[in-house]
Amino acid sequence: MTSLMSARALTRILSTEPPVTLVRSINLDIVPGRFHAVIGPSGCGKSSLLYLLGLLDRPTSGTLSFNGVDTQPLDGDERARLRLEHFGFVFQFHFLLPEFTALENVLLPIRRLAQMRDADMPEQAMTILEQLDLAGQAGKTPDRMSGGERQRVAIARALANDPSLVLGDEPTGNLDSENSGRVIRIFQRIAHEQGRAVVCVTHDPTVAAAADIRIHMLDGAIERVE
Amino acid sequence: MFSHARLIFGIAAKHLAKRKRQTAVAIAGVSVGVGFFLAVSSLMIGSQNDFIETLINAAPHIIVSDEIRSPKPQPAIAAMPAAAVQIHGYKVRNEVRGLKDWQQIARAAQAIPGAIVAPSLSGAVTLRLGGREEPLAIIGVNPEIEEQIGNVQENLSAGSLRNLETTQDGVIIGEELAQKLGVGMGDTVGATSRVGTRSLKVVGLFARGRGQFGSNNGYVLLREAQSLTGQPFIINRIGISIPDPYDAKSVAADLEARFGYKSQSWQERSADFMTLLLTRNVIMYSVVSAILLVASFGIYTVVSNSVIDKRRDIAILRSIGFSEKDLKRIFVLEGIVLAIIGVLAGWALGLFLMLILASIPFPIQGRTEFLPLDRRLRQFIIAGAASLICATVAAWLPARKAARSDPVDILRGAA
Repeated sequence: MTSLMSARALTRILSTEPPVTLVRSINLDIVPGRFHAVIGPSGCGKSSLLYLLGLLDRPTSGTLSFNGVDTQPLDGDERARLRLEHFGFVFQFHFLLPEFTALENVLLPIRRLAQMRDADMPEQAMTILEQLDLAGQAGKTPDRMSGGERQRVAIARALANDPSLVLGDEPTGNLDSENSGRVIRIFQRIAHEQGRAVVCVTHDPTVAAAADIRIHMLDGAIERVE
Repeated sequence: MFSHARLIFGIAAKHLAKRKRQTAVAIAGVSVGVGFFLAVSSLMIGSQNDFIETLINAAPHIIVSDEIRSPKPQPAIAAMPAAAVQIHGYKVRNEVRGLKDWQQIARAAQAIPGAIVAPSLSGAVTLRLGGREEPLAIIGVNPEIEEQIGNVQENLSAGSLRNLETTQDGVIIGEELAQKLGVGMGDTVGATSRVGTRSLKVVGLFARGRGQFGSNNGYVLLREAQSLTGQPFIINRIGISIPDPYDAKSVAADLEARFGYKSQSWQERSADFMTLLLTRNVIMYSVVSAILLVASFGIYTVVSNSVIDKRRDIAILRSIGFSEKDLKRIFVLEGIVLAIIGVLAGWALGLFLMLILASIPFPIQGRTEFLPLDRRLRQFIIAGAASLICATVAAWLPARKAARSDPVDILRGAA
């Protein structure tokens, strides 16, 4: 199977004094339709790898290509465009904009992308919310929702522009087991049924167990992939 | 397509709505700045215009006098400009003073449509009464023309300019001088010039404290002045009023170039006042600009706090796919929105303050006057534009910081 995103000798060193190596010579292929879990102890560079894969950070060396295109020469605007069109992020803390309702939060990336008629945008957002059983929360602001609901709205927002890659940074880290279970099932569904690549950085053994591919990291490097 | 601008504006508006108190304070800062700018500048410009109008109307716009700014070179020097010329033993010619070709000058001035030309003769006499003597600069005028050109009539406390025509040997003098000599309306006073002594009858008095119609100026009939000073048919001063007083400078320069006589425009005459007004304007604009500038500090604070508060949102928006430019626009727009609301409120406040100022009565020498205010649109536009520019710069500084902040740093710190 062709990989959606492939990293070759990917290295990220913080130019502090002394320099800190966050990610060391990583070779990795992210495959569509699969649920990837990146696991390892705290400080092993999981999140740093995720930020590199999400084009939020730039590697110190090595190459990272998306759909066969090298991302190195892209400027900030082009990387932002790529994130907007193809990537969806889910963070540990829901990270919804507090002043906006669930629907408006999901509408943000849709409106920024602006590839459909204005009138169709709320419908698109609503469909995604419905798929995640959030139809009743559409008009609520984040402070009036439960933790599980917020995290699912965050997932809905990540899916808003029909991304090919969904990146999760400890997406269940703040949830109880019931809500964790729902989030895990959603991730499995969007990977297996919708054919997206899902990459989750996690401490949660249940997430790791649910993943198709487990990437074990230690000290910034990949220990093994199973 | 959902308009990009609307999306950016929506986010900025939400940010502001969240911080109602700070937003209100920043808006109040701008509006107070703009309001006081308008009130102060309308008062300053209004009074300045009033003052300039007084300067313009106090005397003819242009006065041509029988003086030359620099004497003509000696013919020998003119003939041999490159040579070293020494002249000695020349005979002093006693020329009769006055404007030699005054009719021509008058005709040239009258060629300007709407111009009023008033030839006059000024000279010096000494007024005597009993043992008292007072010098008097007399101006011989044609009352009919003088009425149209200056404001002599308005400054009289007794009598009228036309009395000069109806009364033989009439003179108009200042109240102060009259008091010094101990004369009143209708009294006779002796006037001595280099050609003899005559009796003059006081037919008008200038009110006190009227600047140029001061204590030692007197108006007589032109003929009277000519015979009193022994200068028959002589004119040594031509006053010219033109429809647009601001043309005076160029008209004066033109007349002087053509006839050689010193032609003073009101601008030249009041050059020191104009410098004073300029200084006053510099002071005013520095003070009110400082107010506007300080108001923009409030905007800086709001936007800067917004940037700090919204660090997490900045990271989210960046991760969603908003570019650095988008982030910068959001925060700059916050400042601009504050400034626009502040400017609108400031205009209202300014109008209100002007209304108050305009209603304050000032009793001046028995008359009730109101403050002269300038309410032209220009000041509103200046205040608005200056505020907007200050606000944009004030918002741009923190906005740039927001755009440059690294989402990864924020995410690491938050996780």
